[in-house]
Amino acid sequence: MAEADLIARYNYDEFVPAKFELWMNFAASPPLGQPAPDFPLWHLDGSETRLSAIWSQHMYTIVEFGSFT
Amino acid sequence: MNAVAERFAPQGVGSIFLYTHEAHPGEYYPHLTSMEQKFRHARALRDILGVTRPILVDALDAACHRAYGGMPNMSWIFNQAGIPIYKSDWTDARSIENAILYFLDVRERRERGERLAPFHVERLDYRTRDMEAFYRGLERNGPKAVREFRAVFG
Repeated sequence: MAEADLIARYNYDEFVPAKFELWMNFAASPPLGQPAPDFPLWHLDGSETRLSAIWSQHMYTIVEFGSFT
Repeated sequence: MNAVAERFAPQGVGSIFLYTHEAHPGEYYPHLTSMEQKFRHARALRDILGVTRPILVDALDAACHRAYGGMPNMSWIFNQAGIPIYKSDWTDARSIENAILYFLDVRERRERGERLAPFHVERLDYRTRDMEAFYRGLERNGPKAVREFRAVFG
């Protein structure tokens, strides 16, 4: 899937099963107890960081994924 | 979740909110087409929902969200070595609180010299199902978000 197509499909424009169910795959998410995949993330001021930079700051780190709803 | 974050921060527990995309795009908060818009939505989310935890933003293609299972409101807990030790396909403050209390006890047991070995456990937790609050959230996104949710789930 080309990057532009991926972006458009992930950021779907309407809440219909054919568009949102495609991305819900918790059963295939990383296993507990194994090193987690790392990704770039951004602070609200636009500065870049990484998930690893977040989890390495504390003994434990809670990460809630979400949006307005 | 803000209260959980504040409660456990003094004990070395960090907490962030990772903004992903609009699960229910509406007239007021439509689907994302640029990082500028994504930052704008994330700031609005902070201000309108009163999120006091640090908010971070995923890439526009949500590489992180997709890799971790893509659920609209899931939560994970990582240890300092980057090992996920808890994952939940829905965010519930009581469940998180329960898990953190357990993991803080693990830390204390280790500090006392107890030798511990990890094991896996599955458990079905229960969250409050507050549809009125959920619909208020949809209305904040716009009538389209409400209409589309009703069309799918009735």
